[in-house]
Amino acid sequence: MPAGSLALLTQGAVVSLLLAAGAIIGGTLLAILLAAMAFSRFAAVRIVYRVYVYIVRGTPLLVLALILFYAMPALDLRTGPYIAGTLVLIIYTGALFAEVFRGGVLAIPRPQWESARSLGLPPLAMFRKIVVPLVTRYTLPSYVNVCVMTVKASSVLSIISVWELTLAAREIIERTFAVFTILGLAAAFYFVMCFGIDRLGRMLERHLALRGFAGVRA
Amino acid sequence: MIAIRGLQKSFGAVQVLHGIDLDIADGEVVALIGRSGCGKTTLLRCINFLEEYEAGEICLDGEPLWYRPGSDGARRRVPEAEARRMRQQMGIVFQQYNLFPHMTVLDNVVLGPRFSQAVSAPEAEALGRRLLARVGLEGKMAAYPAQLSGGQQQRVAIARALAMRPKVLLFDEITSALDPELVGEVEDVIRSLLSDRIMMVLVTHAVGFAREVAHRIAYIADGAIAELGPPSEVLDRPKDPGLKEFLRRVRA
Amino acid sequence: MSFTRWVTIYGPTYATALVWTAITALAAACGAIVWGCLLLLLRLSGGGWGARAVDGYVQLFRNTPVLLPIYLIYFAFPLIGLPWPAVVCGTLALILQNGAYVSEILRGSVNAIDRVQFDAARSIGLAPWSTFRKIVLPQVLVYSIPALGNQIVLLLKDTSLLSAISITELTMQAKLLTEQTGAAYEAFIVVAVLYLVLVSGTEVAFRVTHRAVRWL
Repeated sequence: MPAGSLALLTQGAVVSLLLAAGAIIGGTLLAILLAAMAFSRFAAVRIVYRVYVYIVRGTPLLVLALILFYAMPALDLRTGPYIAGTLVLIIYTGALFAEVFRGGVLAIPRPQWESARSLGLPPLAMFRKIVVPLVTRYTLPSYVNVCVMTVKASSVLSIISVWELTLAAREIIERTFAVFTILGLAAAFYFVMCFGIDRLGRMLERHLALRGFAGVRA
Repeated sequence: MIAIRGLQKSFGAVQVLHGIDLDIADGEVVALIGRSGCGKTTLLRCINFLEEYEAGEICLDGEPLWYRPGSDGARRRVPEAEARRMRQQMGIVFQQYNLFPHMTVLDNVVLGPRFSQAVSAPEAEALGRRLLARVGLEGKMAAYPAQLSGGQQQRVAIARALAMRPKVLLFDEITSALDPELVGEVEDVIRSLLSDRIMMVLVTHAVGFAREVAHRIAYIADGAIAELGPPSEVLDRPKDPGLKEFLRRVRA
Repeated sequence: MSFTRWVTIYGPTYATALVWTAITALAAACGAIVWGCLLLLLRLSGGGWGARAVDGYVQLFRNTPVLLPIYLIYFAFPLIGLPWPAVVCGTLALILQNGAYVSEILRGSVNAIDRVQFDAARSIGLAPWSTFRKIVLPQVLVYSIPALGNQIVLLLKDTSLLSAISITELTMQAKLLTEQTGAAYEAFIVVAVLYLVLVSGTEVAFRVTHRAVRWL
């Protein structure tokens, strides 16, 4: 197997990781906004949230990406495939993270809300010292799960010619027909990334559990 | 002092409170007893506005709480910031899940003073230590709630409520979820508070304990105060037939 | 061109693609459930190495994207003398991938259901295979219906990836129509709506089944 292939695959893996990282950061920020919408006082805002989540979760990622890429040429022309690809992933993971956060907020027992209100905590303090820490601890396993899903989802972008690990592998295969080795290596790269994220997540959970809070890992 | 006049509260189509009138003098302890669903917890939660109510007035030391006539004369909720200020004058302890599990015991207690009352960190910590010593848990300052027993958690919750220097303490069946052998330590703390002469309102099933600590007991039935008076009268010489039945059941 | 005109002209084209999507999804779903049950059996009866083997298999498919098995089977099988049609390759890949998740779902159900029942069955002398078939499997399957429903929905959406190996299911069809007519908006939005209908339909079907079975 030519050494060049390994270098290409490594580059591809780095690109996949960067795509996923961008999507996770952007998706988390978007999800905080969406989750806030999910709990809005205004029914119209809550409906917008539900419709958004329904559409994004009910449509395959590939179709969403194609809609964005081909049906909105303005986006495609002005921005490179990577930005557009990250954007699609952000839209996708934003919905997934939002549902995770929403579940976390709903999991907070009512007396905790009421204790915080009864202490007269101003909204910023309540968010910073109560909501964020509690939601983080409740949702950590699911959050890590979505992160792993994002890394795997990045491979879908290969179908719309975003060059990352899967596309790199496919291109090499079409040239050299070394199907087993190349796909084996690609699988190994993905495995290391996904498994690594999962392990990091478990370490973080254990660290948080040591601080007296029992996690909810099944 | 607290003055409640004509308090009415409905959940949807069901009216739960049918016009409550109650006065609580400075330093007085009032126990609310009654069957499940009679409205005693709802009444408690209206006092610190965890529940909204449709009609009636609650005044603390002469200041009307929670609602104010708007510029058009209609009844309006006070702004959120003011509601927060009003709430700080009352401490509440719930049946369970009081404490924030991700913070140490001391952090739980100083949270209110530090972030709602802008007390400085060293001052808040000193206050926290004093109160925890008072409820007998000074040694558990650095522990997390999950490491404490139910009774200990409730005692910390009381310390946390006291840290806000409230004018009134509200207790919502705080020993109902505890194993029997842990109830005593919590009741001890409440006994020790009597000398502070803070107003207290206790919703409780423990009629014996109510007899001991309350100055007056209110028996609530169907959303109204059916009988009100000192324990010797309400518990030993009940007049209301529902109350007689209730006490018979509780004692049997 | 307006949507209604678009739909009337290309309705039949979409319909064929829809059938392909539905068939592959159904075949893959049945295959994945059967394969997942077999993996569960291997885990329960294979002793130490059985459980470890299944764990390894599950971890492998959990931490790699589903496109890789699809490409592997599609490109590799002709090379090892199995020139199967793309549809079969794609469906097989989906079965292998989703079988792993199904076995995990079933494993969770096994852990949740009272072990006493299984022990009782073994102690009255039922042979392992009978125990599995008559006692374990039915209960586990019924308990797993909601989680299986979620997984099948994911599988349904993954059929769109078969367009990467030129299977003419819904997503591929939309791409073809876009290239033919240039009407990207219409092509893809109709497909998105069709997917939403399929997904919602599947979710409803599982909810109804779950409720119906709990009645029994």
